[in-house]
Amino acid sequence: MEGPADILPSTLKKSVVDAKLLLVGAGGIGCEVLKNLVLSGFKNIEVIDLDTIDVSNLNRQFLFQRQHVGKSKAKVACEAALGFNPSVTLKAHHDSVMSQEYGVNFFKGFTLVLNALDNRAARNHVNRMCLAAQVPLVESGTAGYLGQVTVIKRGVTECYECQPKPAQKTFPGCTIRNTPSEPIHCIVWAKHLFNQLFGEADPDEDVSPDTADPELTGDAAGSAALSEPAREDGNVERVSTRGWAAQNDYEPRKLFRKLFNDDIRYLLTMDKLWQKRRPPTPLDWDTLPDAVAGSSSSSASDSSLSDQRLWPPAECAAVLERAVGRLKEQLAARPAGDHLVWDKDDENGMDFVAACANLRAHCFGIRLNTRFTIKSMAGNIIPAIATTNAIIAAMVVFEAFKLLEGRLDDCKTVYLNRQPNARKRLLVPCVLEKPNPKCYVCAEKPEVTVRLDVSQMKLQALEERVLKAALNMVAPDAELLDGRGTILISSEEGETAANAPRTLAELGVRDGARLRCDDFLQNYELIVNIVNSTELPDGQEFEVVGDASQLQPAAPAPAPADGEAGPSSADAGGSAAANGSGNGAGKATTTVDDDDDLVCLSEGEDGTGTDGEVPTATTTVGTPAAKRPAQSDQGTPPAKKRRALSGSESPEVIEL
Amino acid sequence: MSASPASNPKSPDISEKNKKYDRQLRLWGDHGQAALESASVCLINATATGTETLKSLVLAGLGSFTIVDGKIATAEDIGNNFFLPSDCAGESRGRSACRLLLELNPDVRGQHVEQPLERLLDTEPDRLQAFSVVVATELTDSCLSRLSEVLWSHNVPLLVARSYGLVGSIRLQVREHLVVESHPDPDSVVADLRLLQPFPALAAFCDSQQLEAMDRAAHGHTPFLVLLYKALQRWRDEHDGAPPSGYREKKQFKETLQQFRLRTADGVPELEENFDEAERAVNTLLTPPSVPEAVRTLFASQQCNSLTAKSDDFWVLVKALHEYVENEGEGLLPVRGPIPDMFSDSDRYIQLQNIYREEARRGADQVQRRVHLLLESLGRPSDVITEEQVRHFCRNTHALRVFEGTAVQQELRHLRLPANEMAAHLQNPESEMVIYAMLRAAERFRSEYSTAPGAEDDQVETDVIKLKACLSRLLSDWGCQNTIKDDYVQEFCRYGGSELHTVAALIGGCAAHEVIKLVTGQYAPIDNTFIYNGISSSSAVFRL
Ligand SMILES: [Zn+2]
Repeated sequence: MEGPADILPSTLKKSVVDAKLLLVGAGGIGCEVLKNLVLSGFKNIEVIDLDTIDVSNLNRQFLFQRQHVGKSKAKVACEAALGFNPSVTLKAHHDSVMSQEYGVNFFKGFTLVLNALDNRAARNHVNRMCLAAQVPLVESGTAGYLGQVTVIKRGVTECYECQPKPAQKTFPGCTIRNTPSEPIHCIVWAKHLFNQLFGEADPDEDVSPDTADPELTGDAAGSAALSEPAREDGNVERVSTRGWAAQNDYEPRKLFRKLFNDDIRYLLTMDKLWQKRRPPTPLDWDTLPDAVAGSSSSSASDSSLSDQRLWPPAECAAVLERAVGRLKEQLAARPAGDHLVWDKDDENGMDFVAACANLRAHCFGIRLNTRFTIKSMAGNIIPAIATTNAIIAAMVVFEAFKLLEGRLDDCKTVYLNRQPNARKRLLVPCVLEKPNPKCYVCAEKPEVTVRLDVSQMKLQALEERVLKAALNMVAPDAELLDGRGTILISSEEGETAANAPRTLAELGVRDGARLRCDDFLQNYELIVNIVNSTELPDGQEFEVVGDASQLQPAAPAPAPADGEAGPSSADAGGSAAANGSGNGAGKATTTVDDDDDLVCLSEGEDGTGTDGEVPTATTTVGTPAAKRPAQSDQGTPPAKKRRALSGSESPEVIEL
Repeated sequence: MSASPASNPKSPDISEKNKKYDRQLRLWGDHGQAALESASVCLINATATGTETLKSLVLAGLGSFTIVDGKIATAEDIGNNFFLPSDCAGESRGRSACRLLLELNPDVRGQHVEQPLERLLDTEPDRLQAFSVVVATELTDSCLSRLSEVLWSHNVPLLVARSYGLVGSIRLQVREHLVVESHPDPDSVVADLRLLQPFPALAAFCDSQQLEAMDRAAHGHTPFLVLLYKALQRWRDEHDGAPPSGYREKKQFKETLQQFRLRTADGVPELEENFDEAERAVNTLLTPPSVPEAVRTLFASQQCNSLTAKSDDFWVLVKALHEYVENEGEGLLPVRGPIPDMFSDSDRYIQLQNIYREEARRGADQVQRRVHLLLESLGRPSDVITEEQVRHFCRNTHALRVFEGTAVQQELRHLRLPANEMAAHLQNPESEMVIYAMLRAAERFRSEYSTAPGAEDDQVETDVIKLKACLSRLLSDWGCQNTIKDDYVQEFCRYGGSELHTVAALIGGCAAHEVIKLVTGQYAPIDNTFIYNGISSSSAVFRL
């Protein structure tokens, strides 16, 4: 092959030929990067991706075609690239990069790692693996028209986790189960309901009325929650939702009656909840409105697409009936004990969630949404297009070239703007930041502070929700630094299972305790400082604070500045970020689905998707404080403030 | 009213196509997608930059494309271009690329014309006017100049995309581009909810809300617009009818607002989120509405004031809008319709939504009547501009923009920028204008010697001297001294005129982005030259 590499300086040309690269992700950015690498003279590339190809990938992931739907992305991408240039050595792994097989030694085998990922958990993990293996990492992401590329090198630059990311928004279980007030609450409830009925039932995702709602405690608890209400179907409470549905053969009208009538009536008996709220209205199948309140027929016909038309409640019930019937068949077709997995691109699962979310919203007097909008909120859909991916993928390869030439000093964080900024720049390069000495990942001796209630939190929750979900460990061990070296959690099967249901207090963990947590796979050791707190905001179970000096006396979240954001702004995790805390997790959390090219996650809270405006998932904006532009005449970097925008506008800067 | 739902099981069939385009429909909407699907793009020369541009458009569902290319694929083309199969050496470059590009998306039609652009320009230049956009790569200055002239005269946008070693550029030539949805920065858009000049339906709704008579739940769920309306009434009573203006008065106004809050028995204000919302909105929503500057410029423009039968629909709409503002609009644009999310029970929120939507429709209907009259007076059928078009236009009055471009042909002949301004750019070694000058000099070299500088390995030394001479003459034409470092001349000779695939991919991505903006009429296009410098990962936009 002649041509392409001739432009490169000869030293770089040699490094390109000799380099062995790991490409993590074969989605929108990954396909483009792979093509660029193969056409740039790279000879040795491994590609890893867990995903299979979906129809909705085809508008940009050009290595895939209709006949590849359902196949491994990594494999098909490698085959397509080999077809172009058979002399390249390509290896595909259809696997999760977080699997135990890919340890530090695996990562050490590469000259560079290129991330083309779609979710924060995997990005955090690869970040740690590259830090441990001392391999430079090129990180990238896109969201709609926006994109970003950066370079991470241990000890020299910021790591992916040096700056706290805005917390993924979570909702207290009682809001979801008892007192929804926004469409997203109903959507989360509907997704939980799907899992209860057809999916993997998670006790944290209960959908029935919650009698342990903190608002019911104190003298108010008595009235409803504790007294057995008069219910026609008697002992529903003692059977799981799934069991109940199975007993009733998933009969849609019975399901409807339980969910939107009986359960709502039961909620109404908790009168304390409705003293300041508008109480919900139980629904009757036969008297549902068949028109959307207030919308005239002509606006409904503006959009011929049925998923962009607002379904009136009666139609929601009809959709529910059909979807339940089909899902029941799908479930029956599985081996006994198996379950369905909710997927936003599965028609029946999505119909089910859209219909249930709207029916619940109708009960609670919350505004209904179109299936199109609900899909973007339920699936955390970040818009994605070929052009942005092409631009960002090219930038990834340029940064890789510089690393191979040993020009780390010239590497940049580059942002792609939607339109040229005030300084007429579409691409804005910024110098790489130095590592944060207090980073709880890449610091010499990483430490982190976690606020929680030691008398409430069980060890199992500490492992699953704090160490794994929030601090992103894969298989942690934990030792209490009490002078005796008490082992709390062992990653060896069964060794510490007996501890799981006990509270931290019972295990001797008190305010000020230090836990040494260790993840063998990530080669990562972290000291967790426990701060006992019984007053966490918003029903949160715990709060991760970067370091103890950030612990302020408990203060309410700051109100948005005057005029800064309009009344429609969805404050998606913004205050947590402004407080400098890392990740907070509520009791019951929204399931975050990874979409390809996804840059930062937050639930979409579309503002005014009326009159044909294009609703877009809200993207949480966050940029590490003030990035220094690389050039003196650069002017202001893309944005300095953290805020969330709603409506059809995307933010200027994305969070990788 | 209560038809049994089962009797009405409309199937929400989501077509395969909508699934495929789901992620982009969320950016440009169905109407944007429809515009893309009815667009046809012509690519001149199937270079790597050219096919990378088409790739992104074909994936997105472009209607059709035509490749004009008289060249035969060489080994270098194939090594550089993902859409040329390894066995196509010696075959038509355009045909091979066309075939592989079509494999990307069965919805797209594509064809190729196996002749050089020069011949097409000689024999049937009018064929070019059928395209929505023409993307040109790998053209000599003289050929580009001819193409520019033809497309300018037909008002067909031309996008010149170039990748050259580690640098690249895009030049957009568009005589007049009309944008209905420019998607301005939301911070710069003042929500026009007419609180200071409430229309009758809004006033009637707000007047019907008896805050004193409400229970606690209803009070706390009253939309904040109503609260602002009530507080404004009280304020006006106390201030001779004048609304609060300026920081101080708005601060005082917030106190007036507080008076409406519920209080506990001992006088402590209750927590009511709707009041918090109202307070936050005081600064933005109590600004007197006015016609934005950009729209007033449109009203004053010559195209608006001298309509002919051939005027673009856009100008007919602008004229109708202007007449509306002068008459029944009483100096204001029609209400746009959408209202922000707010803390409210859904009944009243929906009522408010409908009130604004109805008012927006009333305004749009009045604009539409004027559109009909204008079309009639121009001798055109009154249905050429649809109701949907008028509504879409009226919803976007805050985002209307017009771009007037400059011709590439002119640019090649003489410099638009004052010489001293250009000299200042060129003296800054980091300025992307240096790259522009180098690209122009390299093209001049190609025109004079029929080859790219440095294309032959044994000629590099002499080419450096020749290219430097080309550069000096170019700069002297511009009235500038040659302040550009020799390093750049050396570097450009090293490129030998080759495309580096990664630069082609980047420029192709940017070019496709611009084509999508042009055909959808959404977002502001580049005005008018984008320069990318891969040596420093930087870029800039200049108007040339
Ligand atoms: Zn770090």
